[in-house]
Amino acid sequence: MAKTKKTSVEPSEEKVTLEEAAIVAEEMPVTAADEVAEQPAAAEETAASFGDKVKAFGGKIKEFFVGVGVKTKDFFGNLFKKDKKTKEEKLGEMAVVAAASDGQIETVVATSLLESKLSAKEKFGRFCRSQSGWLFVLPAVILMAVFTFWPILSAFINAFKQNYSTLTGKYDGWGFENFIRVLKGDTGTGGATFIQCLVNTMVFTFISVPLSTLLALLISVALNSIKPLQKAYQTIYFLPYLTNSLAMGAVFATFFAVIGTTKNTENVGIVNQVLQGLGLLPNETFINWLGTSSPKWVISANLTIPWAKYIVVIIYEVWSGLPFKILILFSALQSVNKQYYDAAKIDGASKNTVLWKITTPMISPMISYLLVTGIMGGMKQYSAIVGLFGEQMGIDYDMGTMVGYIYRYIEDGHMGYAFAGSLILFAIIMIITAINRRISSKKVSY
Amino acid sequence: MKITIQNLTKTFPSRNKKEKKENKGGVTAVNDMCIEIPSGKLVGLLGPSGCGKSTTLFMLSGLEQPTSGKIFFDDQDVTTLAAERRGIGLVFQNYALYPHMTVEQNIMFPLVNMRIPKAEAQARALDTARLVQIEDLMARKPSELSGGQQQRVAIARALVKMPNVLLLDEPLSNLDARLRLQTREEIKRIQRETGITTVFVTHDQEEAMSICDTMVVMKLGVVQQIGAPQDIYDDPANLFVANFLGTPPINIFKGEIRKGKVYIGKEAVATTEIADQPVYVGIRPEGFIYDAKGALTLETDHIEVMGRDKSIVSRHESSTKPTIRSIVDSDVALPKGAAKLTFNVKPNKLFLFNAETEERLI
Repeated sequence: MAKTKKTSVEPSEEKVTLEEAAIVAEEMPVTAADEVAEQPAAAEETAASFGDKVKAFGGKIKEFFVGVGVKTKDFFGNLFKKDKKTKEEKLGEMAVVAAASDGQIETVVATSLLESKLSAKEKFGRFCRSQSGWLFVLPAVILMAVFTFWPILSAFINAFKQNYSTLTGKYDGWGFENFIRVLKGDTGTGGATFIQCLVNTMVFTFISVPLSTLLALLISVALNSIKPLQKAYQTIYFLPYLTNSLAMGAVFATFFAVIGTTKNTENVGIVNQVLQGLGLLPNETFINWLGTSSPKWVISANLTIPWAKYIVVIIYEVWSGLPFKILILFSALQSVNKQYYDAAKIDGASKNTVLWKITTPMISPMISYLLVTGIMGGMKQYSAIVGLFGEQMGIDYDMGTMVGYIYRYIEDGHMGYAFAGSLILFAIIMIITAINRRISSKKVSY
Repeated sequence: MKITIQNLTKTFPSRNKKEKKENKGGVTAVNDMCIEIPSGKLVGLLGPSGCGKSTTLFMLSGLEQPTSGKIFFDDQDVTTLAAERRGIGLVFQNYALYPHMTVEQNIMFPLVNMRIPKAEAQARALDTARLVQIEDLMARKPSELSGGQQQRVAIARALVKMPNVLLLDEPLSNLDARLRLQTREEIKRIQRETGITTVFVTHDQEEAMSICDTMVVMKLGVVQQIGAPQDIYDDPANLFVANFLGTPPINIFKGEIRKGKVYIGKEAVATTEIADQPVYVGIRPEGFIYDAKGALTLETDHIEVMGRDKSIVSRHESSTKPTIRSIVDSDVALPKGAAKLTFNVKPNKLFLFNAETEERLI
């Protein structure tokens, strides 16, 4: 067999440059094809016109793999010698790639037959060739390993270390203390507890995401049914998406708080003035939406509900969540076959029935997508709160979200609490996503 | 319910804004259509694609508004009445079944919209499903049905509200050949059982001829001929209708009337009393009688034996089509390998059309 002949070739004197090595690594199918090229039937049919060039190139590859055995000294000695590929070789490569798919099976058989006769060096070369897929994903795998997998693993490990210091790496032993303290609110640092942050996050997410999805649905249905100025409205609705969330937070803060009033109090924002104008608030009383004396319900020592601030956050999040949702739902609506609407018309369906019985089920996959991603994003909410309430996230973190809580302890250097908090958040997101999937697999039709 | 269509016209405005303003340059899909559809009949709108038959159907349904003209259901003017208030059932070309609903929900949908109590709606849905023989499939979704089954569901959905008029838009075009044969008989059966005035649109003349009580042949928005299928076939109003009906299609020759005789080339094939003029001579494939001393000589190309009869493919220099097809009984003995065959023509299968207007002369 051609294979046997090939492997018996002695290491040649020809130098192997880095460049060639790279080519071989990249053109993996080549390895299968060079043998094919030497098998008359297979090669001459598939790459007949390139036959000779293929052979020439096949020889080069052969030399390289045998050349794995070339002494390291030689290899490095030749590192910087440029050896440009000729045009013929490039053509040959192309042919080889074309021939590769046909030759694959024979190669595998040949390889297994000959494996036992090979030296260690040759086996290594073969291994490199057959496992080449890894080389392609390696850069991404390395990056992800360093910046994603290791941090996750590290968080898992370090969450169980008591009094862990990132500077010295010292800790006082293993256990669940971090988790217990986080959940009990017994971190000894003051400020909002984990429970407070969890409730904040849940309220923001589970009110604002469904609400903004519903609003987006109604707006996009309305948008879909008008013809004049449709594009203009589309653009207007999309604008908030292009705006920085911190900037939007600052604008909202202005709406609800001080600026632009004649009364020199901190709580006469435009919203209060409008509410007064509409007669919704008794004269000269104002809601302190954002300030220190903002109204709240105290549930327990660890948990208060500052409802006025909640309203501000929810309005903000609904508004900032709308553009993307409208964009998605509007395009989903446009792809619904108009004939269903004609059929519904013939069937005497009212507009309401059409919206809830025809339109919504038709775009339910998109609605489900928006809810799932919206909830995931809501759980990670952070920048909006900072935009609205500043870095302290309200009074002593009372408007803090889960991510805000984690970030606060990273800054404080209480890494253990941050790790524990992030693992709990991770678990919560996992559970919610699982529930989401359960529901959507039942409710999302076709 | 009797349907009367008076001077119905539909013009789609031009996309060019200037032309649109001046009311010019639009496309007239239906032009001054006047027909009367008797109650309880199955009527087919037939024509090549783009002839305005679907537009007519949609105007009947109320989904399209006519530019001018009127539509009456019995004596009621429904021209401006909304689709849902006309009491019609419409089966779409690709059925438009709601994919997220089961068959039962699909059929019940019109009833739910009419606020009929659930129990009654279910009973009626089941009755209708029985009529179209899909009662076993009620729990399935449309995606789990074959094309033919989907079509039955669509018909059931249209019938369940007991419409005054049933409209079918190319109901058979999405079915395979065998299913098409079966379903068209099914439509005929359902129509007979329910007695609902039915209008259906098709481009397939065979389909229309096989099930229609009355056929309306259209071309470019203009009605060409209305009548029973056989009547139209035997007595076409013009060249277009003659050409459109019949498989294999009619053979058309350029001919001439000279001194009371109809000439194709130099051969006189028939006598007539019409004044001398150039004409188109149409001869149905079954209108040829083989005769060794026949009047018309055709160059034989080949002969296809179909079992029941023989189809002779031949040529003639006056023919407007590349080949001429004549069908003779399989018992007829034809000389083997003859390059030319001569035929006589059955007078009732020969039509003469004016060479310019293409209107029928005789």
